[in-house]
Amino acid sequence: MENTLLVGLSRQMTLERQMDVVANNVANVNTTGYKADKSLFQEYLTSGAHQDDFKGADRRVSYVTDRATWHDFSQGPAEATKNPLDVAIDGKAFLVVQTPGGERYTRDGSLQINSQGQLVTSAGYPVLGNAGPIVFQPTDKEVTINADGGVSVLEGLSRIDSIRGKLRLVSFAQAQKLVKEGANLYAPGQANPAQPDTTSKVRQGFIEKSNVNSVAEMSKMIEVTRAYTQISALLQQQGDLRKSALDKLADVPA
Amino acid sequence: MRALHIAATGMAAQELNVQVISNNIANLRTTGYKKQRAAFQDLIYDHVRRVGAQASDQGTILPVGIDIGGGVKTVGTPRLMTQGTLSPTGNDLDIAIRGEGFFKIQMPDGTYAYTRDGSFQMDQQGRVVTAQGNPVQPTITIPQNSSGLTINAQGQVTVTLPGSTTPTTVGQIGLTRFINKAGLQPIGDNLFTDTPASGTPQDGVANADGFGDMQQSNLEQANVEVVSEISDLIAAQRAYEMNAKVITAADQMLQSTSNLFR
Repeated sequence: MENTLLVGLSRQMTLERQMDVVANNVANVNTTGYKADKSLFQEYLTSGAHQDDFKGADRRVSYVTDRATWHDFSQGPAEATKNPLDVAIDGKAFLVVQTPGGERYTRDGSLQINSQGQLVTSAGYPVLGNAGPIVFQPTDKEVTINADGGVSVLEGLSRIDSIRGKLRLVSFAQAQKLVKEGANLYAPGQANPAQPDTTSKVRQGFIEKSNVNSVAEMSKMIEVTRAYTQISALLQQQGDLRKSALDKLADVPA
Repeated sequence: MRALHIAATGMAAQELNVQVISNNIANLRTTGYKKQRAAFQDLIYDHVRRVGAQASDQGTILPVGIDIGGGVKTVGTPRLMTQGTLSPTGNDLDIAIRGEGFFKIQMPDGTYAYTRDGSFQMDQQGRVVTAQGNPVQPTITIPQNSSGLTINAQGQVTVTLPGSTTPTTVGQIGLTRFINKAGLQPIGDNLFTDTPASGTPQDGVANADGFGDMQQSNLEQANVEVVSEISDLIAAQRAYEMNAKVITAADQMLQSTSNLFR
């Protein structure tokens, strides 16, 4: 008798969580290098008592549970900014960022130079090259970042490029194991070593926009709301049913 | 219902985005203005089911987890220090910098400020000053009755004195550069001050050591591009509306729950 309520409740709880995921995607629709999250659900069977010897075997009650949120790592659109320190990565590679908690990975290529001349992220963490942080001299100008991540500059009045380093690009065999840490950073996750990536290309003067498909998120939002209200209506009907059953069955004739 | 708060962070972020864009558009014709951009990052995540956690005693691990994000935050409004286009003005004391460097200005309190706005004037003592009357460093005094004011690419100021046929050098306008010019603090009036993030100011002269050169009778226009600002504005407005829709949808869900109690 209670199953309807409990099954309905399990669905509503997962829908609420899915709504949170949709809301987070929509909130990050303008976040550089953001990758959308998607919800996955699975059927969850009760392991309670059941009797299968009858002609019509007992049907087991199945609830729903949210199994996972997976990251959609598809390429986001590139926006031209003309800023020499903006890079977009064309491919599945990540930039390597040195944080106090160790190496982290990002697709957010809106880079800056700090007061020590290091190439850093917007949050001020050094972006690593193949030989540690990339450092510029005070007289450097005209920063050029080539498609392979090589960083060169014109130093002083020189007409010949000086090499300042090469952006380290890494990719992962199991990108789904990456853990979102916020601040556009990913932690590597368990048993998921970063491997050098040679196929991805760096595009200077572009930033990768969020890959959230706003139309799809809006329709999913409506879907979630409708499903939620349907369950609410179902629960209400079930309540009414039980109420009338109680009224009728317990109606002792005078 | 977390979705309500998540969408609220999204609305706040897009509101700030519109502010930044409108400031860029408002300064479309401001000499030496450098456009800003709002940079966003995702907020912290709640790892409801941790990816890589043990799923069984046989050592299988979860290939994907449940991560619920908390919304969006603004990490900064970095300034794009790219070169603006030069436009000729015909005025002797208008100077544009082509390349790296800032003019150094002495403020009334004795401190220094830096600017790319080279629309200078002369004050009653003949000093070269900004539109606010603050002298350009090093201070240059133009002698009375002189003519033929010329500023060359190195910033040397020469004039022809009365009764003379050869030009006389009266000073050199210096330039200052910073390793992180995006780290300068704007103080209004087209001026910036140095900060710990910008690094220490390095004084020098134009056309040497990586400094840009000076172009007399030109002014540097703002580096704002209207088309990209307008398209960014539309995107920001749509993003704001979508976040508002999420709040409405979350509210509907809550309402249907509260309707259960009768």
